[in-house]
Amino acid sequence: MSSEIDLRATNLCKNFDNFEAVKDVNFSIPRGSFFSILGPSGCGKTTLLRMLAGFLEPTSGEIEIKGRSMLGIPPNKRPVNMVFQHLALFPMMTVAENIAYGLKRRKMKKPEITKRVESALERIGLPDVGNRSISQLSGGQKQRIAIARCLVLEPDVLLLDEPLGALDLKLREHMKIELKKLQQAFDTTFIYITHDQSEAMVMSDTVAVMNEGRFEQVGAPQDLYYHPQTPFVAGFVGESNRFSGSVVNREGETVEVITESGQRFVAREKFDKKLNSEEQVDLFVRPEMIHLSYEKGDKSDNNLSGQVENILFDGGNSRLLIREQVTGAELQVVLPQTQAFSRVKGGDELHLCWNAEQSHVYRSGLAS
Amino acid sequence: MKISTGPRLGLYLLLTPLLLTLALLILFPHLEMLNISLRERISYGVYKFSLTNYGEFFTEPLYWITFVRTAWMSILTTVITLLIAFPVAWYIAKVARGKTKGMLFLACLIPFWVSELVRTYGWMILLRETGVVSNFLQWLGLVDGPVEMLYNDVTVMVGLVYTSMLFMVVPLITTLDGLDDSMVEAAYDLGGNGWNALWEVIVPYAMPGIVSGCIVVFMLTLGNYLTPTLLGGKDSLWFTEQIFTQFITRFNWEQGAAFGVLLLILSSLIVWLGLKLSGQSFRDTMSR
Amino acid sequence: MKNKLTGALICVGLAAFSFSSQAEELRLLTWGGYAPQPVIDQFEKETGIEVKVTLSNNEDMISKLRATRGAGFDLAQPSQDRIIGAQKEFRIYKPLEISKIDESQYVASMLESTKGSTSVNGKIYGVPHVWGTSGLIAHTDNARQSYRFSDLCSDQYKGKVSYRLKRPTLIAFAFDMGEDPFAAYNDPVKYQQILQKVEQKLIACKDNVKAYWSGGDALINLLRSGEVTLAMGWDAGGWKLSQETGNINFIPPATGALGWIDTFALPAKGKNDEAAYKWINFVNRPEIAAMITASAGQFTASAGAASFVEDGLSNSYKASFDQAALDNIKWYPPVPAGLETMEGKVLDRIKAAH
Repeated sequence: MSSEIDLRATNLCKNFDNFEAVKDVNFSIPRGSFFSILGPSGCGKTTLLRMLAGFLEPTSGEIEIKGRSMLGIPPNKRPVNMVFQHLALFPMMTVAENIAYGLKRRKMKKPEITKRVESALERIGLPDVGNRSISQLSGGQKQRIAIARCLVLEPDVLLLDEPLGALDLKLREHMKIELKKLQQAFDTTFIYITHDQSEAMVMSDTVAVMNEGRFEQVGAPQDLYYHPQTPFVAGFVGESNRFSGSVVNREGETVEVITESGQRFVAREKFDKKLNSEEQVDLFVRPEMIHLSYEKGDKSDNNLSGQVENILFDGGNSRLLIREQVTGAELQVVLPQTQAFSRVKGGDELHLCWNAEQSHVYRSGLAS
Repeated sequence: MKISTGPRLGLYLLLTPLLLTLALLILFPHLEMLNISLRERISYGVYKFSLTNYGEFFTEPLYWITFVRTAWMSILTTVITLLIAFPVAWYIAKVARGKTKGMLFLACLIPFWVSELVRTYGWMILLRETGVVSNFLQWLGLVDGPVEMLYNDVTVMVGLVYTSMLFMVVPLITTLDGLDDSMVEAAYDLGGNGWNALWEVIVPYAMPGIVSGCIVVFMLTLGNYLTPTLLGGKDSLWFTEQIFTQFITRFNWEQGAAFGVLLLILSSLIVWLGLKLSGQSFRDTMSR
Repeated sequence: MKNKLTGALICVGLAAFSFSSQAEELRLLTWGGYAPQPVIDQFEKETGIEVKVTLSNNEDMISKLRATRGAGFDLAQPSQDRIIGAQKEFRIYKPLEISKIDESQYVASMLESTKGSTSVNGKIYGVPHVWGTSGLIAHTDNARQSYRFSDLCSDQYKGKVSYRLKRPTLIAFAFDMGEDPFAAYNDPVKYQQILQKVEQKLIACKDNVKAYWSGGDALINLLRSGEVTLAMGWDAGGWKLSQETGNINFIPPATGALGWIDTFALPAKGKNDEAAYKWINFVNRPEIAAMITASAGQFTASAGAASFVEDGLSNSYKASFDQAALDNIKWYPPVPAGLETMEGKVLDRIKAAH
């Protein structure tokens, strides 16, 4: 993987009438990497993707692919191809004709086209489906054909618009891995947009979290998970218990926060520094960071007690819904798959603890 | 045995009304037509079996020329109707949204709330020598004297296209509605231009609609009587008019029936040929 | 099951039958204007018989009756020359009982000639009702006196001419060319020769024609708007325009107007002959006949109706026909079967010519 930049967007904006869909977005993507844009629906990610593909012109800003400006260049002239949400395979053509469509547009000779189509089908592991019609394919096969139809054109960048959305869960899990492998095999830059954090995290080298037209944070999946820079990222990536409160005390970088319902928590400042007394803050603790025990302990910075209100069983992902004793607030905690907790039931009294650096605290009022 | 015949009997009973309708309303009249067409009048009330009536069609140039002319103009009408209806259908199915869509569709439908006769007389009022268009052109000073726009083939064609529009627009809208917009975008994205998107993606996708629209319009036009007769005037030659004349004014049912059978066979042949040439199968078109 | 079904069918049939016989009605197959509403109302008042009118023309009448072998109507009004051929060919009429008709109401000569021309094997199939002629209808402001059918082909009227593409036009041109087509009716070879000459003439001057008219109203529209200035048509249409405009009138051409008589004939499977005879005798009363003349614009065979006819129409009539013109009318003799096929092909070829 070279460090050469394939795609660079500078100060990209897009307005529809009075609505700002994309606000001043900047990013650059190195060659051959898998870049995801993750955000809730309506955050502007589709608008951004359509600007990259050429279906929309940016209101201001610059898009460069391999150093060449893409402004004013129509979609059919850009070295970019797109896999659509519903794939948009041509139902009246065979699989081979679908893949050959783009090559024909390049006035390539017939034997050459046939050769390339065959090799593309082989690379996606479907060597014998060339003569089938699209309706004869399964969901996963269609998926791969749609990608092959683009990759056979050897684009600099491949854009994917939530192509896994229509698949059932099992197939989606499988296709995540498949896509990652395809990307590595073809060594092409992928830009993948999705609202599903798991898709983004599993496949991507870099993820940009987008909210209300802006990039909140761009980084490796691990960065986003362990070091969310904004309250939105902390809330959107992974699961979190969220509390609103105000600062009552500070010692060095450690602040003491009292929530609206009266709980006291200790947290370490990370991105928002110098939180003052009385300042309103949001505090996030991930369910998987909270330690559970039947005995009361006081080794950690935060110690709580509560009763099991509900067991949200989901195999290895199971949670407990715990009501805190003093204030009556609710918390989600991951149910450890250890013997100690195999008989946990509603009404049980449990003790929760975590350290100051395991929670995130931000000035509030910046995001929802 | 009894158990197995029970449901089958039920099926036959259910099918009876359909079969009766088919037999009484479609099959019998056609068989009777065939029967009449195959006899020749000897003298008062005396007939014998003969193929004379069919021979007449091929030996008298007047008749087959009339048929060829009718078929040719019907094909032309179908093509023109398609060319006009396609953008209209595209606009209604893909560009117009919400209320506009409904209004435009209604606008296509409104002319069909009055009978064909009234519609055709409407054209005659507009286009006759002392009609609205002629007077308007004179008022504008574009022409010196009255212009006669009726009684020629172009006017007949205009009338036929107008009459056929709806029957082309509706199946086209139905198929184009199902076309995912992103399919057109994909056609661009993969390097195609507007022309490629139209010919490689949109037209092949709409083919079932195009074919069924064309069949309906062709058959309707071929079987039209009022429009070509009224708008065509003294030179209007239309095969159905010939059939009508044989039946009603010549009392020559034998000849009229033969023409009717020939019209059925020849038009089916043309439709079949059209399907073959466009590489479509009738079953595909009807089942999609 | 089967018996029940049959029973039900019989019930339905009986119901329909009793319904139709209960309200006595007369189903009349006739021309536009021959049965005006006031006449129908008066007839119903006097006899209690309901009259149901179906409008038609000669060819349509024969076709309709042929399709049902003479059923569906109780009284029809074909032209006198179109009865014998159709009767011999399709047997769609039944003979009249002359004794049931009040002959004293008739113009005797017209009754006798119609009886003669509608007889098959000594049986009479028609009695006269309305008569009229075909000739020319022209703008008469140029003070011209004499017109010929061949004026329809003259350059003076190029593009301003209309006629029907039917047999009367062929007959008219045959007379104009000095032939006597009626005399050739029973000589197919001679008749074919005459038709050929007419065909050539009509094809040669097809450019003159604006449009072939098919209904009386369409012709009147064309003449009234001035799109057509010379036409072959019925006297009634000419007279109507004459009273309306003053400068358009019906003109019997030099070779004589072609005279036709529309008759009463009984369809073979008519159900109410008594009502039919009542209607015939009713409409022949002078004052009723005058009402029909006013409505149709044509005169009837009823003796003594002339004094009831309004002035406008009788003035137009007098302007068209002097005694010489009346004497010169060529009355259609019965058409032998087979002629219409010959004529049909000629008409087709004219239509197809460019």
